[in-house]
Amino acid sequence: MRTLLLIVISILLLPLVVRPAIASEIWIFAIFGLALNLLLGYTGMLSFGQSTFFGSAAYVAGWLLKHYGINVFAALGVGVGVGALSALLVGYLCVQRSGLYFIMLTFALNQLFYFIAYQWTSVTGGEDGMPGIPRPSVLGLSIQESYWYYAFISLLFLLSLWAMKRIVESPLGKILQAIRENEVRAEAVGYDVPRFKLLAFVIAGAFSGLAGVLYAMLFGIVPLEAIGFVVSGNVVFATLIGGSGSLYGPIIGSFVFIWLSESVSTMWARWPLLLGVAFVIVVLFLRGGVVEAWTRFWTWRSSKQTG
Amino acid sequence: MNLLLGQILNGIATGMLYALMGLGLSLITGVLNIPNFAHGALFAVGAYLLVSVVGVLGNFWLGLIVAPIGVALLGLVIEWAGVRRLYAAGHDYQLLFTFGLALILNELIIVIWGPVGISHLPPALLRGGVDLGFTFYPKYRLFVMGMAGALVVLTWLFLEKTKYGAIMRAGIENKEMVSLLGIDIQMLFTVAFALGAYLAGIAGALTAPIRGLSPGMGVDMLGIAFVVVALGGLGNLLGAIAAGLLIGVAQAVVAAYWTEASTAVIFAVMAAVLLVRPQGLFGIR
Amino acid sequence: MSNLKRRNILKAGALGAAAAGFGFPSILRAQPKEIVMLGLWDQTGAFADVGPLNDRGMRMALEERGMKVLGKPIKYITRDGATQAGTSTRRAEEAIDGEGARFMIGPWSSGVALAVSEVAKRKKVLHLFSGGTEDISGARCHRYSFQWAASPYTAAKTVVDNFMKANPKAKRWHLLVADYAFGWSVEKYIKEVGKAHGLEFVGADRHPLGEREFSNYVQKAAANRPDVVAMINFGGDAVAGAREIFNFGLTPKLPLIMCWSSGVEELIQLAPEIRDNLWVGTNFYYTANTPVAKAFVKSYQAKFKTPPGYAPSAAYSMTRMLLAAFDKAKSDDVQAVIKALEGLEVNDLLGRMKVDGATHQTLRPYFFLRCKPKAQMKHELDLADIVATGDTPLPKQYAACKDIGGF
Repeated sequence: MRTLLLIVISILLLPLVVRPAIASEIWIFAIFGLALNLLLGYTGMLSFGQSTFFGSAAYVAGWLLKHYGINVFAALGVGVGVGALSALLVGYLCVQRSGLYFIMLTFALNQLFYFIAYQWTSVTGGEDGMPGIPRPSVLGLSIQESYWYYAFISLLFLLSLWAMKRIVESPLGKILQAIRENEVRAEAVGYDVPRFKLLAFVIAGAFSGLAGVLYAMLFGIVPLEAIGFVVSGNVVFATLIGGSGSLYGPIIGSFVFIWLSESVSTMWARWPLLLGVAFVIVVLFLRGGVVEAWTRFWTWRSSKQTG
Repeated sequence: MNLLLGQILNGIATGMLYALMGLGLSLITGVLNIPNFAHGALFAVGAYLLVSVVGVLGNFWLGLIVAPIGVALLGLVIEWAGVRRLYAAGHDYQLLFTFGLALILNELIIVIWGPVGISHLPPALLRGGVDLGFTFYPKYRLFVMGMAGALVVLTWLFLEKTKYGAIMRAGIENKEMVSLLGIDIQMLFTVAFALGAYLAGIAGALTAPIRGLSPGMGVDMLGIAFVVVALGGLGNLLGAIAAGLLIGVAQAVVAAYWTEASTAVIFAVMAAVLLVRPQGLFGIR
Repeated sequence: MSNLKRRNILKAGALGAAAAGFGFPSILRAQPKEIVMLGLWDQTGAFADVGPLNDRGMRMALEERGMKVLGKPIKYITRDGATQAGTSTRRAEEAIDGEGARFMIGPWSSGVALAVSEVAKRKKVLHLFSGGTEDISGARCHRYSFQWAASPYTAAKTVVDNFMKANPKAKRWHLLVADYAFGWSVEKYIKEVGKAHGLEFVGADRHPLGEREFSNYVQKAAANRPDVVAMINFGGDAVAGAREIFNFGLTPKLPLIMCWSSGVEELIQLAPEIRDNLWVGTNFYYTANTPVAKAFVKSYQAKFKTPPGYAPSAAYSMTRMLLAAFDKAKSDDVQAVIKALEGLEVNDLLGRMKVDGATHQTLRPYFFLRCKPKAQMKHELDLADIVATGDTPLPKQYAACKDIGGF
């Protein structure tokens, strides 16, 4: 409950301190991170190709919004559907494999989708991206204004968080965690492991698709990089920086990651260098991410208070 | 017909480079069991070192010897300072580390050599081309084909015919057994990483006169190297060689008839093969 | 229990304080007295090499005026667009909202610029751009965006007419085209203008932006047995392409045309052997014979030890045009400056330059060069002669900008 309160407070405070466009992006990215964490944190599958679902959903929903003027709920629905469907395709090829194979496969299939989007210029616009995506009204309320759109995104984020919490606390979530802990034992107990993995993959794809559609409507464009491997990498890194051990890790990671790359990029042209150094430092010294560092700090503090 | 023959020849030449990259990555992923996302950056460093060495010493051949050794040394340092501490950390943190490393190397290239691309000509001996009847082909590319082929064979011989090579192969199969035999497994990991880095470095150095240099030159190669490893079977060295050649030729042949699809075909071939044989061309598992 | 509560409040407080600290720069709004200009120049991505050069040009133009216009100080800010549409639009919006930028120039990639142009329209800020897409002053024209580079038609006409004058028999053309907005626009008009000369296009292959492996394309070009190969690509792609075309023995036997080159910056990357029988179309060449160009080249060379190519010159000239529009408008109001820029006529970097008020296209000369063989080069930078310039504007029947629209 108190975590929820904290999140609501952050939602309210965030637009006061960063631009609404960036604040919106943070929550969109947080939805995307929640999805990845179902795979990475809860099932133990490191997918390095999540932008496949994010980007595919953005392109399809963007296309329908642009050419057929579908309403906002249809757009979100299409995004979720396309995300799930593309994840079913990719997942079918990947869930049989594990470890490094799984990482490389998701990555390589991501590249395949990327090059299809790159070359299919009549639909996607290729390198130029797909511009001119409208932001339709929600039940008669306009969300053109950036703060209204921010509110809309925040609402969907809270909804996604609630849904994800339900999923990970459900029996399904327990099974997934059992698979993460010991795949062989889960199999021995009688679970159809590949099937559950595929299910997790599809659910994550659906959430990624939702994030993709929101992203398309944020700037009115689906850029080619939305389906590129850098976005796939960024969501993994954001989640790890936040801490993949907790449901809330990706949320913090999303904030830290986007804020860091946005503010540092205006200071120094060679900002990716600092980002790289930050990654290395996190890996060598701060494994567990922000959430764990935070917990450690508070344990240390309270032990000092009692002591 | 001549076009097709020319493209197949060309595909073999680029395929050899892909095989070299894939072989190095397969060695690293196979022995150390880590996803090396810095493999493309090592490739780029190899190319840049070549240009600098040639600039200082004025001799291409010396550059071709020194530059990859420099990359191998860099590999040693990376393994010793970072990778070594991550064997128990899980793939996620290994990935974060190697990706961070790739960012650092890529940006350092810009800081040291500048953001503007560099053009580098082949040595005078290998400029110009020869008429092969069906196509006019640059001498330097024929040299690369031979050189990369020789390196692939040498690596192969090292792994198959030498004692240390046998230990390394055993390390891919079964790490516990190797350490039970009283072999310094830490040393084995270090050597494997350095050797993998060396192969990436020499692939980069050989590529410099063909593609020129630009800071992002490693990114494309990274994707291809991963495809080669996935296609050939993880840790399967023969598979990596075959997969490299396969996608090199597939890419060139498709380019002859449908240039726009020539990059996508690399990944499409991979997806198609894995659909039929999920373990890769030669994978056993 | 109370301890727990207190801790929560502390946590929330710490988070709030941290967040406020993070967001500090965006709270610091621009002083209303200064004019904020944004240079959206790529420092990473495919055009990472071009951004720093753009920045030099824009900075030089502003420094010439002592960073002031109409007595007000100019605050020059830059953002790295990463050569990506998403990043560029996001950072442009951030600079507009957060720093109060009302005038922006860039970015370099025409595809990305089209996306940024949408931001300009939505946010009502003046946007200047230079690049090869015809859409900014064509199908997607609007009141806020202006195009500095020659119309792709003007470029194609200059290149094809003058090349055919020198090589009347070279009728079989093979094209190598960069696969994005710029490549498509120029390709379209090369083919259009080529009709009048009876050209036969034996092949036209498209390659992705950032392509470095040209062997497959070159072999295919060779198999078509053309009289000439024409490349419509830019920067590193053009350099890599020209090198492979030479390596495969096509040049110097066949002429090679770089239709839309950055000029000196690309040419110095090529060895003299590769420049033999190379013809170049460009938006700017450093030996351009105008007083402004001479002064600019001189001070640029003094500062950076190398002559300026298209990238710094475009940024330089766009900034000068923008400042000229301020002078003409005697106001720093966006709409007043736009009105002043529409129809603005100056005698500047390229000679006579005029902004077409109806399409926002700059009407200006385009350069056609022939590279010199090694033996004829007088010094290291004596790379090419300007053979001709051309400034035929886009004929009415092709004009896609029917109505520039209101504010």
